[in-house]
Amino acid sequence: MGMTSTVPDVSVDLAPSNPRELVLRNPVIPASGCFGYGQEFAGAIDVQRLGAFVSKGITPEFRSGNPMLRIAETPSGMLNAIGLQNPGISRFIRKYPPMWATWEVPAIVNISAESVEDYEMMARRLDDVSGVAAIEVNISCPNINAGGFCFGWDARMSADVTRAVRRATTLPVIVKLSPGAVDVVEIAQAVEDAGADAVSLINTLVGMAIDVRKRAPVLANVTGGLSGPAVRPVALRMVWQVAGAVSIPVIGMGGISCVEDAIQFFMAGASAIQVGTAAFAQPKVLMELVDGIPAWLAANGYARLSDIVGVANPRYGTEPD
Amino acid sequence: MATELGTKLEFMGEIVRVEPVMGDSVLTTFVAPDWAVRAAEPGQFVQILSRDPQSTDPLLRRPYSVYRTDISAGTMTVLVRPYGRGSAWLCEQPLGAVLDVMGPLGSPFAVRPRTERLLMVAGGVGAAPLLMLSEVAVRAGKQVTYLMGAQDAGTLLPASELPEEVEYVVATIDGSMGHTGFVTDLVPAYLGWADQVFSCGPEPMFRSLRDVVHRHRLGDRPDVQMAVERPMACGIGACLGCVVETRRGMRTACVDGPAFDMDELIWG
Ligand SMILES: Cc1cc2nc3c(=O)[nH]c(=O)nc-3n(C[C@H](O)[C@H](O)[C@H](O)COP(=O)(O)OP(=O)(O)OC[C@H]3O[C@@H](n4cnc5c(N)ncnc54)[C@H](O)[C@@H]3O)c2cc1C
Ligand SMILES: Cc1cc2nc3c(=O)[nH]c(=O)nc-3n(C[C@H](O)[C@H](O)[C@H](O)COP(=O)(O)O)c2cc1C
Ligand code: FES
Repeated sequence: MGMTSTVPDVSVDLAPSNPRELVLRNPVIPASGCFGYGQEFAGAIDVQRLGAFVSKGITPEFRSGNPMLRIAETPSGMLNAIGLQNPGISRFIRKYPPMWATWEVPAIVNISAESVEDYEMMARRLDDVSGVAAIEVNISCPNINAGGFCFGWDARMSADVTRAVRRATTLPVIVKLSPGAVDVVEIAQAVEDAGADAVSLINTLVGMAIDVRKRAPVLANVTGGLSGPAVRPVALRMVWQVAGAVSIPVIGMGGISCVEDAIQFFMAGASAIQVGTAAFAQPKVLMELVDGIPAWLAANGYARLSDIVGVANPRYGTEPD
Repeated sequence: MATELGTKLEFMGEIVRVEPVMGDSVLTTFVAPDWAVRAAEPGQFVQILSRDPQSTDPLLRRPYSVYRTDISAGTMTVLVRPYGRGSAWLCEQPLGAVLDVMGPLGSPFAVRPRTERLLMVAGGVGAAPLLMLSEVAVRAGKQVTYLMGAQDAGTLLPASELPEEVEYVVATIDGSMGHTGFVTDLVPAYLGWADQVFSCGPEPMFRSLRDVVHRHRLGDRPDVQMAVERPMACGIGACLGCVVETRRGMRTACVDGPAFDMDELIWG
């Protein structure tokens, strides 16, 4: 290169085949449930510099969530059983999107439900709400019409939800995969076929902890979702598998805490990343990623982020069999 | 020196004083930016990263009540009892070590402007936020009675830590100083005097305080604020991991609290 060093292009379109597109200035996205509704972090970081953010999971009705204790620290990780505490879709729509509509950073709304009809209803209600840039569908939820079996563990149920949401909205639709599925690749391909614009993974892994003095589970809910650096190798493996098997963009997450972690996910085939638990301990990690990813690319001679996406994944970008 | 990190709540602060207190606990004083020192109010806390920054374990910050601030010196002090891994790490940090701190966080104790007489009820490290509240109240010309309970004389907050104007009354389980028994045994004598009661300590102390207050006060006066402890992840209202069940629904200990009106709390 000559005398002038150019700033690498880190912009990314997460819904390339959707006319409403989802173009982000950079690939750094705080994860659902770890960033509140965006305003909570405004005192700590410059939220507007993020690529986008995902809001706390919303359900059809108000939920007060699980009783205490809801969180427990584990080795390099944490368990959470918040129980989707949220105001419900109606109050949510009145309260938050009007504020986001004045923001520069795109807001992605995470939705959870216990029936296909409820997912569809929420997507329909969000479709023309100003301030909402995209929908992320959390399919790690029990299907009450299937005995509480998790939607995201079954390819047909995952596809049913995706198809219903796709029918209800022209917004970009990201389907968030559950790591509890026996074959996450099968689920990813099913939701791609059903019309998802992108997939994100991983959601938390189900775990638990026992308080030996009380001879009882630490969490009131008994089990909780494991997140943080402890899950990163598992998450990276799943992102690598899925990115090698679908043609839509993959958003990787699970334990990302620094620039090098993020680069690993890009090299596995993620087009963008989400960050959850690490930002609890250090909100500044989000800003370090926003600045550090282009810096890493520049230092390693890359002109754009897309140049490293999938470089460590021989199946990335090939036609699925 | 305090280094700002380009974020509005996180800063790096060098430890400038470490003093043993209350048995095996320590008072750790670190440098803090002017905005943080000035912003801190009684009842608020800071979240301190309690590990080597290169490590990811223990992952989450630990919350500590602000014990004292010194605007002219530009410092903040916390009272740390070695308990598990995070607090043990913090207690071992020597002079000159640099802490990664977030805060001040949470809502301060709500002292009504007309309140003239404040009663503090402290147990263990719950002494910390009440020490700061006492100093601020005395500076504002108010009267303070500080009740403290501990296992023995050696684990009480030393009287020298409190402003001279404060009436300090103690209880020890082993009877080595003051009243023999619980701090809550001392409370009834002061309920008629106090305009407001402020409390921080372990859960059993809160329960016994609630019972004593219910038995001895007239109507709903004085009101009692309790600064509760919850495991915290974010400290800024984002994770909803630290909630407290109240008559107005689930509230976060880190933003709406840590102090709540006793009559608002729902006791499981
Ligand atoms: C607002 C607030 C203010 C605080 N102020 C002070 C202070 O001024 N001084 C002070 O010394 N400490 C204070 N604490 C407590 C402190 O944050 C740490 O929890 C404490 O130091 C123990 O941390 P650790 O890493 O040493 O122990 P850990 O290793 O985290 O804990 C040991 C065990 O106790 C469990 N545990 C921890 N907390 C709870 C809980 N609340 N309920 C049930 N189980 C729990 C853990 O799950 C673990 O199994 C405060 C806490 C809060 C929420
Ligand atoms: C406290 C907490 C709450 C969460 N809430 C949600 C949620 O409402 N919806 C969702 O899809 N994922 C939720 N998640 C999962 C995260 O979005 C993310 O998938 C997971 O934590 C892995 O990323 P991390 O290791 O960077 O945290 C939550 C995670 C945590 C820790
Ligand atoms: S600690 Fe996260 S909401 Fe209070």
